[in-house]
Amino acid sequence: MEYVVQTTNLSKRFGKESAVIGLDMKIRKGEIYGFLGPNGAGKTTTIRMLLGLMKASSGTIQIFEKDLNKEKINILKRVGSLVENPSYYPHLTAYENLEALRKILGVPKTRIHEVLEIVRLTEVANKKVKGFSLGMKQRLGIAASLLNSPELLILDEPTNGLDPSGIIEIRNLIKQLPAETGMTILISSHLLTEIDQMATTVGIVTKGKMIYQDSIESLRMYAQQKVLLKVSDSEQAWRSLLGNGIKADWEDGIILLSEHSDGKVAKAIHTLVHEGYSIYRVEEEKRSLEDIFLQMTTREKVI
Amino acid sequence: MIGKLLRADFLKIKRKGLWFLSFLGPFGVIALQMVNYGVRKDYLLNQSDDDWGYFLEYVHSFTPLALVLGIAILTSFMASIENETNAWKQLISLPVSKMSVYLSKFMVLGSLLFVSSLLLGVFSLGYGILLNLGDQIPYLELLKYSFYPYLAALPILALQLWIASVSQNQGIPITTGVLGVIFAYSAFILPDWMIWKWPSLMNEWDEPLINVMLGIGVGTLLYIVGMLDFTRRDVK
Repeated sequence: MEYVVQTTNLSKRFGKESAVIGLDMKIRKGEIYGFLGPNGAGKTTTIRMLLGLMKASSGTIQIFEKDLNKEKINILKRVGSLVENPSYYPHLTAYENLEALRKILGVPKTRIHEVLEIVRLTEVANKKVKGFSLGMKQRLGIAASLLNSPELLILDEPTNGLDPSGIIEIRNLIKQLPAETGMTILISSHLLTEIDQMATTVGIVTKGKMIYQDSIESLRMYAQQKVLLKVSDSEQAWRSLLGNGIKADWEDGIILLSEHSDGKVAKAIHTLVHEGYSIYRVEEEKRSLEDIFLQMTTREKVI
Repeated sequence: MIGKLLRADFLKIKRKGLWFLSFLGPFGVIALQMVNYGVRKDYLLNQSDDDWGYFLEYVHSFTPLALVLGIAILTSFMASIENETNAWKQLISLPVSKMSVYLSKFMVLGSLLFVSSLLLGVFSLGYGILLNLGDQIPYLELLKYSFYPYLAALPILALQLWIASVSQNQGIPITTGVLGVIFAYSAFILPDWMIWKWPSLMNEWDEPLINVMLGIGVGTLLYIVGMLDFTRRDVK
């Protein structure tokens, strides 16, 4: 399997403090990889290491299956990035800001107009960035990251500080990019809802460690509702449910119904009553993605 | 790669007033002589048979001060362009080596100061002719007084750039810059090994070329040390 980004046992220490510990990140081509974690979990540090802004204390980074330490410049030619707050030169216009980067990247001038069009800043191209709103600056930052038509786009908290319409705008923009250009995107956020609506794969990091890395669907599986049954002689009851073709799990004396439509629940209860088990409780357990995320990141263990 | 970075860096200093400052420095030095010669021209012309030489000596008495002050201001302006919105991270994550980023900054500052030195020469010549100092124009001396201080000040430039580009707090390079100006002002009491004395072209052997050679040598050394330190550090 070809990984666009693969880190092995990546660690970063600042003095005595460890910001990132043994991180293994794997991003496949064409994915939108949501990099999720609470503030201070080590997301930005990891991203800075991926971009060669910081040197890893230990571990290796492979991007496009090349070692970042050995081929940094060749790798960075194919990477676009926006790290934390957007960087810009306030005394220059939007166009000049991109021109300063374009000169270094060596792409044609027409590309500036293209990226300005993508982020819808064409009309203010000749205004100084000083007077831009945060949303416009953020969009300019995204335009800058797209300038070299990157194969890997790294966006660190791109929706930070934006108003809802700005967030939606950027979200739509990010979603359409891989479809149009086959770009792979790494996007970090501390908001699960944000990632949930864009990402195809998620990596959850807390206290510098990767605690979950899989597709967004597998994460959603955890969030499914379950109906809990507390009955007499629960193991026996569970077996008889299975015997009747009803899908269920048994855990610590509680039966978990994984199919929870009204009809299925009624059928399960009917079966149990019919077979003479006493039913003490029928409860519905609801867990949102947020709950799972909170549980994962605060208890520091995988479900 | 360095050509691209230079073009980008020259674009970034647009509207920052750096070119204006490069003009203002030499203009200020000559303007002081305009006042000096404007007030007491006859007296000054009587002081020496070599009017051009005497004039250039006077010009040179303010050059080191303007140069050291200029270096402090230009380097901190230059660093502030990248520091203001922490654009270092954007710049370094482009496909460029950190060494060439640093070299480009140094070369831009070097060129600005070169232009200043050139203007100093032109202004000295212009005002000298205007003062009617004689037909024997000492072009060689003119060149020496314009460019020797510049070359002798290279270590200060390398040091200031190093401090300005690695400091999170821009108060630090400004402090060292101000200290440098004070040192340059009191050059005649400083020991010969102090880099802030060198632009004054004074030394115990009375040979300005020694300061120039030291300037280029130590300047290169300080530049390399600064560049290596800059490359080694993580970008915040």
